[in-house]
Amino acid sequence: MASLRNPSSRFKVPGYLVGPLVILIIAMIYGSLGSEYFLDPASIVFNTGRYIEIGLLALALTFVIINGDIDLSVASTLAASAGVLAKLFENGVPIFWCCVASIFTGLVLGLINGLIVIKFGLPSLVVTLATLALYRGLTQVMLGDGVVANYPESFVGFDQRLVIGGNPGLPAPLALFFVASIIFYYILHRSNYGIKNIMSGSNPSTSNFSGISVDRVRLLAFALSGAVAGLCAVMITSRLGSTISNVGLGLELLAITAVVLGGTDIFGGRGTISGTVVALFAIMAVREALVIQDINGQVQDAAIGLLLILTVLVPQLRSYYVEKRNRKKRFNEAQART
Amino acid sequence: MAVNLNSKVTYLFKKREFGIFLFIIILLVVFGTLEPRFFRSDNLSAILSSVGILMVVGAGQTLVIVTRNIDLSVGSSLGMAAMVMGMVARENPDFPIFGLIVIAMLVGGLCGLLNGLLVSYGKIPSIIATLGTLAIIRGAVFLVSDNVQIDPNDVPKGVIALATTSPIGIPWLLIFAFLSIILVWYVSSKTLLGKRIYAVGSNPEGALSRGLSFNKITILVFVFVGVLAGLGGVLYTARYATINPADVGRGLEFDVISAVVIGGTNIFGGSGTALGTALGCVLIGILSNGLTVVGVSPFWKACATGFLILAAVAIDNLVRKRQEQNFLLAIRNQRTVK
Repeated sequence: MASLRNPSSRFKVPGYLVGPLVILIIAMIYGSLGSEYFLDPASIVFNTGRYIEIGLLALALTFVIINGDIDLSVASTLAASAGVLAKLFENGVPIFWCCVASIFTGLVLGLINGLIVIKFGLPSLVVTLATLALYRGLTQVMLGDGVVANYPESFVGFDQRLVIGGNPGLPAPLALFFVASIIFYYILHRSNYGIKNIMSGSNPSTSNFSGISVDRVRLLAFALSGAVAGLCAVMITSRLGSTISNVGLGLELLAITAVVLGGTDIFGGRGTISGTVVALFAIMAVREALVIQDINGQVQDAAIGLLLILTVLVPQLRSYYVEKRNRKKRFNEAQART
Repeated sequence: MAVNLNSKVTYLFKKREFGIFLFIIILLVVFGTLEPRFFRSDNLSAILSSVGILMVVGAGQTLVIVTRNIDLSVGSSLGMAAMVMGMVARENPDFPIFGLIVIAMLVGGLCGLLNGLLVSYGKIPSIIATLGTLAIIRGAVFLVSDNVQIDPNDVPKGVIALATTSPIGIPWLLIFAFLSIILVWYVSSKTLLGKRIYAVGSNPEGALSRGLSFNKITILVFVFVGVLAGLGGVLYTARYATINPADVGRGLEFDVISAVVIGGTNIFGGSGTALGTALGCVLIGILSNGLTVVGVSPFWKACATGFLILAAVAIDNLVRKRQEQNFLLAIRNQRTVK
């Protein structure tokens, strides 16, 4: 009813978006102080290319984290898929089938994560910590110290291609990210699976009694995260034009940061795709602004870590003080009545 | 008497630590027969000094995991402590060694206090908070050191001597390691504080209704792991004699958490022993050194660690399920007898 009386409140920004949006705007201002070209649309669009893999991983991770699980092994899954791609390519398999095999490898590795977590009833944090090492180790065993390069011209440079030409054009990775966000949005917020996902995250036993197969929902989320990691392996190989065994090292932290920054509850049951997307752009803006101000990479990571903590801390403190104030108000009212 | 002995033997076999101990013996035999040089004294002392650093930090991490938290930032805290200590030593070459150790432990304790405050009063899940401080403290190491490493010439001779010289035949590094394990063993099994720490981890609601102060205990364990990470920083400096802002303690959190989990500490809190953690550290140290000595490609090390964690957690889970079944059976039998 409030919205009828006060029409402007219908266009309120949802609470979980406030943090990332504020960060995004501050980073934009800070970056444009460093260089006048920072806000140039063409440069913004082309700088996104490096972050799209993180974005896709974060989109898939949103499902896993909403279930109350976590997948620390996404970056290692990506590396193992890239390793399979490189090895097959070296042995003369056509590049298209290499890509298919890469995505399939990711899917299988994700399924393995999910099956171990569900069939043995083990905590996903430990299982994926173990497979983080395991899959990275497999990649190192597969590739050794070597570099696989010499991919065909038609395959390399995916991020340089434009879907829509002009200035600023729409590069292929960004277009892919938008399409993926829309698809994931429909899966999470408009499909049966998404509702089951959120329900089994917020209350697993009740969902089980209501006829939702929580195990299957969780398994699917893990498989999805693996398959997306396989897809990212294809993208990263195409972007870099070569494969080494430490490809994508540490990406999992950035992806998890994006998910949590976007307001998804790390204990499950709550989360949105729009939050993850906005948070990704916020991280991107912060990173690029710090790059343009010529700040060391480690300090950039520290800034992202600080943002992660602040976005969780500030709402906690706010609700704490609001509750304290309300309690005081109720107390005073009760006093006045007696 | 025979019965008594038999029950003692079965008790030993039932102990969780015994399995790890057996596995260590098997590894020693395998590595020793494959490559007799494995048992040379310089190799053994190399293993022991890397195990010592792990043990010091792992001892603290055990208590943190027992309270259902996790500290991912130990590697960065260790780096911060080592860096501050190294800078003090570089400016004042005559600073007493004891003072340097105290400074490192203080710095580590401050890092731990930050984590503890964020987790307790900030109500941020520990995995998020320490993921953030992992990056923040690493960035702080860069800012403090101005990205200049401490050279071996600037590290006092007395600190380097901690890794080699000794009062009673074993180096100071190992004495510190044993002391921290013994301290954790004593606190966890002999003191009221230990009972409270375990109570918070095994049954939070129960502990809360008993009036235990969650915040105090959480801050305490985080400060404790921070102080031990600071001590680990001293030992790291003693062992490697160089403090590089990017390398010092990087990735240590993975080895430490692996060792704690392999040692039988339940990642969901409430159970875990100092002895198990010590054995877990020894296992990881022997495995990573032995693989290299035997001539297996070092790339297999990550694979092996991953497998070990999975195996340890899976076996733990099976044992726990069987114990629960036995417990239920025992209760049922009692009822039928009555």
